[in-house]
Amino acid sequence: MLIARQVDSPRHSTSHRRQKRSFVFMLLPALLLIVGIMFFFLQGIARSFTNEKSYIRNPTFVGFDNYVALFSDSTFLVGLGATMLYVLLVLMLQIPLALSIALLLDKTSFMRRIGRNLIVLPLLIPPIVAGLMWKTMMQPSAGVLNFILSSIGLPGGSWLTDPATSLLSVVLIDTWAFTSFSTLIILAGLQSLPKSLREAATVDGAGWWQTFRHISLPLLMPYVVLVALFRVADSLKQFDLIWPVTRGGPLNSTRLLHVQGYEEAFRFSSPAMAMAIIFVLWIIIYLASFLLLRLWRRTVNAVD
Amino acid sequence: MRNILGKVAFFTAFTALMIFILSPIVWILLMSFKDYADVIAYPPKFLFTPTLDNYRDVLVGAGSDTAGEAAQFRQYLLNSVIVSGGAVLLSLIVGVPAAFALSRQRIRGSDHLAFTFLSFRFAPELAIIIPLYAFFQQVKLYDSYIGLILAHQLITIPLVVWIVRTFLADVPLEIEEAAQLDGCGSWRVLWLIVAPVIKPGIASAAILAFIFSWNNLLMGLVLSGVSTRPVTVGIMEAIGFDQIRWGWMAAAAMIAAVPGMIIAVYLQRYIVSGLKAGIVK
Repeated sequence: MLIARQVDSPRHSTSHRRQKRSFVFMLLPALLLIVGIMFFFLQGIARSFTNEKSYIRNPTFVGFDNYVALFSDSTFLVGLGATMLYVLLVLMLQIPLALSIALLLDKTSFMRRIGRNLIVLPLLIPPIVAGLMWKTMMQPSAGVLNFILSSIGLPGGSWLTDPATSLLSVVLIDTWAFTSFSTLIILAGLQSLPKSLREAATVDGAGWWQTFRHISLPLLMPYVVLVALFRVADSLKQFDLIWPVTRGGPLNSTRLLHVQGYEEAFRFSSPAMAMAIIFVLWIIIYLASFLLLRLWRRTVNAVD
Repeated sequence: MRNILGKVAFFTAFTALMIFILSPIVWILLMSFKDYADVIAYPPKFLFTPTLDNYRDVLVGAGSDTAGEAAQFRQYLLNSVIVSGGAVLLSLIVGVPAAFALSRQRIRGSDHLAFTFLSFRFAPELAIIIPLYAFFQQVKLYDSYIGLILAHQLITIPLVVWIVRTFLADVPLEIEEAAQLDGCGSWRVLWLIVAPVIKPGIASAAILAFIFSWNNLLMGLVLSGVSTRPVTVGIMEAIGFDQIRWGWMAAAAMIAAVPGMIIAVYLQRYIVSGLKAGIVK
């Protein structure tokens, strides 16, 4: 090894430089892509400070007018509230559910293996298909859900057709579609836990709940926070599931900000206003991810 | 006694979970084999004479009036294959060398760069799609495969870079160093030595990227027109607002979910390992 290095040393610096140069070439297309994406993103933000509409020939700079208008527009504020509520419901429902399912399917047994295979299915079905499947079943008068409810003596729901229950119904569809993703991550976390630790606790006479509460859960926290990070970001910008199912209705009850941005741009021909909404949404996602990433680092440090 | 109770609790929870996950899929699958009368029947029918009419209507049509529509749907499927396949291919060509360079060279800010890729995963798609829409119309990329493939990079490249990067971290550097001493350039090291080792990682990244690209609705809704419309938008359009053709929709939805189903059966381990690598590590 020593000899090889000595022999090689005169050429080493040139080959090293050549290597560095080829690394630059390897990165170049990706860098171009990043620059391109950044360019369009910044250009979009710039447009949010204009009065651009498809029927205005020469849009002019209007400063923060669009943002001021947004925050005094009740539809936007309702949408903002609906978005926050959506994220809150998703977290409250899906994190405990994913954790429970992961615990249920952890360990090796024939049935659990089948279960682990089957829970991947919803992840592979396009959200639009998932949305339509559930919409079909949630039909108030002829849907199978209400039929089953009434046959066991329960009152049926109005589901997606009533502003009071529509958001919760979409959250339910979201839960079906995306809890698998969360479960798989937590399962991976569970399987990476040192077995010896849990066995030691059981030997010490700790019950299942105590073992989970004081040993497994703290070790799992980084995974749980990571799941929360992904679910928060994805539900804040949820569109694919909502558009085919409710198109934001009834009565704006499911008009989340991403849906509002789409309508503003492509139904009301106002890309400037749309970009203002999207930029507000982006800031919310950025802040939420930033806070959750900090929480994640803290949980990782706690584990170490 | 406690053991039996535990078993009962497990079976109850397990059954409830399986019903929750499988029943929507089974219900729509059943619906896709029903004729119109059975679809709208109330109370809903669980037993009926199955028919393939819906699949025929979606894929080949019946008679001259629906044949055109079926041809269009087949075109949508082809469009989805072209756009998602193309997007994944481009992401691999661009992303794998980039991930390699990022993991092998201590360039200043390389972690930053990797994070920038990941941050695209979290941005609302419209932040890019709205500006792209105007730009694509100017440069005639609107309703073109190339335009859609470029736009889909927003979805596919973060997955590819991030997943491949974690798989690269597990490759021992010694082999590469030995090859470099033998005079192999970085490209040849990547192609001949590293790529074969991380093949499962590349496969995971490609499969996950394909799924997410295939499932996407918003990109196609905005950036595609009559000639490049993907299957997700195709289904969306075919359901009128007041009158939904349930049987047709069920069959079309099942067909649109076919790539996912195939992957679920044959390539599932790649999804799980890809998710683990991309997120957990």
